[in-house]
Amino acid sequence: MNRNDFAGNRILLVEDEESLAVGLEYNLSEEGYAVMLAADGRKALEIYAAHPCDLVILDIMLPYMDGFQVAAKMRETDPQIPILMLTARTGLADRLKGLEIGADDYITKPFHLDELLLRVKGMLRRKQWYQKTSAANPVFCFGPHSINFQNLQCRAGKNEFTLTQHEAMVLKYFTDHVNTIVTRHELLEHVWQIRSEVETRTVDIFVARLRKYFEADPKNPVFFKSIRSAGYMFCVEPDNQ
Amino acid sequence: MKKQRSLFYPIFIFVLAQVAWIVIVLLWIFRYVASNIIYNHVGERITPQLVSKSANVLELVGGLVLMVTASVGLLLIFRNLTDQMKITGMYDNFIANITHELKSPLSSIQLYLETLKSRQVPPAKQTEFLNRMLKDADRLKNLINSILEISGLEQKKIVFNYEIVAAGPTFRKLLQDTAGQFNLSSQEVIISGDAPCSCVIDRNAMRTVLDNLVDNAIKYSEGPPQIEMKFANKAGHLVLEFRDHGIGIAKKDQKQVFQKFHRIYRPDIPNVKGTGLGLYWVKEIIKMHGGKIHVHSEGAGQGTAFTIDLPVYPTAKTRYINNLLKLTQKRKKIERGENEPE
Repeated sequence: MNRNDFAGNRILLVEDEESLAVGLEYNLSEEGYAVMLAADGRKALEIYAAHPCDLVILDIMLPYMDGFQVAAKMRETDPQIPILMLTARTGLADRLKGLEIGADDYITKPFHLDELLLRVKGMLRRKQWYQKTSAANPVFCFGPHSINFQNLQCRAGKNEFTLTQHEAMVLKYFTDHVNTIVTRHELLEHVWQIRSEVETRTVDIFVARLRKYFEADPKNPVFFKSIRSAGYMFCVEPDNQ
Repeated sequence: MKKQRSLFYPIFIFVLAQVAWIVIVLLWIFRYVASNIIYNHVGERITPQLVSKSANVLELVGGLVLMVTASVGLLLIFRNLTDQMKITGMYDNFIANITHELKSPLSSIQLYLETLKSRQVPPAKQTEFLNRMLKDADRLKNLINSILEISGLEQKKIVFNYEIVAAGPTFRKLLQDTAGQFNLSSQEVIISGDAPCSCVIDRNAMRTVLDNLVDNAIKYSEGPPQIEMKFANKAGHLVLEFRDHGIGIAKKDQKQVFQKFHRIYRPDIPNVKGTGLGLYWVKEIIKMHGGKIHVHSEGAGQGTAFTIDLPVYPTAKTRYINNLLKLTQKRKKIERGENEPE
């Protein structure tokens, strides 16, 4: 396979099915990643606390703690760590729960090896893009709000809170494309790096969340406007930018 | 949310039906009392023979009894309905579990096949991968077989291959075979006891029972398991005791472990694989043998003990067991007939 720009990156693989774990470990190592293996939720958090890693591949059905709990704990310490959830469940509710808790991407079993490796690379690339762009210009202000893309700290009026990595990425994409129409597919491709086989509903959910944070009246948005049959537009007054 | 809503309608209808009944009864009593007063005042003067108190009271009491019967009937139907709904809920859970159980080995097989196709894997690794795939294929096969067997068991399609055996040596052998299959060392499993009596069992079905119990003991133990298996002849019963030092079962969950599709979710469970069918299957098999199974645990972290009671042949449940033997013989005869050349 092709040379990997991200060789040497550390991946924490959390999977309790031994057979699957060994196969994945082999393939990821062949790609040049340094793989750490954990067979249950507790072990995963131990390794995570002791060794820094660049990406986590996380199964949902795990002994002791399920993947959702593990993801939530990891997000507490590092809101920016990319998490790829691996699951046999295909229900929309599960997917949304995963994304809501802060998984960045989702892949269902049984999966294609190529697809998994592409997604891993995609996530690492995204992380790099995000770090590069946010380092150059970490704080963005619009209206009475401000967001620091480095530590994901937000101020909306008097409220202070932390965005999830994904919310921040969606917002980042909007702030890079001020006053232009952004389609749902565009967001899916750039923020999630996936094609439209995933429901565009996911995008709507994230936009709805941003509205809840930043709009005085989420039903009549001022910043995150819906453009009929096209997508969304992030509107900021020119003097505000 | 969905569950709440789906429960709301039957409860609403049930309450409505009850209210309707009570209103009817009240109206009825009101009418009875009113007309009784009229009768007492007027009836006697017009036609004294029409007023017969005892018959009216009988009618009222009879009517009330009928009403209560109808209400109780409704209540029973309602209870049955909620039970059904609970089973449906557990069935959904089962589908989720079974999907997980089927997809895991399948994705592993797919992963290895794609790896072998796209990479130059060294021969030693190739052999390892092939062996893992075979193991996963086995897992799939066993899972599918057990689902099919359980559905056969439920429709009573499976006539077991019952035979009269000397309990002591047979159970010793069965227990040893089971221990062997799970590669348990002599420290991990202790088999003791003796039973100088006879029993009627199906060896394969009994192996399924023992395999399931050992599998559970291993699954629900942290670290290497410690299993004690004892058997003895107690008051006309062959008693098999099965004790592990695993994570135990909380008192409130003990009743439900034999229920179909039931699974306990606890954060300290070291293994999450399973379909919720194993112990249900075990119980059904023991029931078919005319026996009983109980579970006992002092609570979480205290280990678990399963006790199986089987009737000793030919002193207990003779009629039932002779019937089992007859059925087996009948089946064997049919099989022989089918195998004979025409």
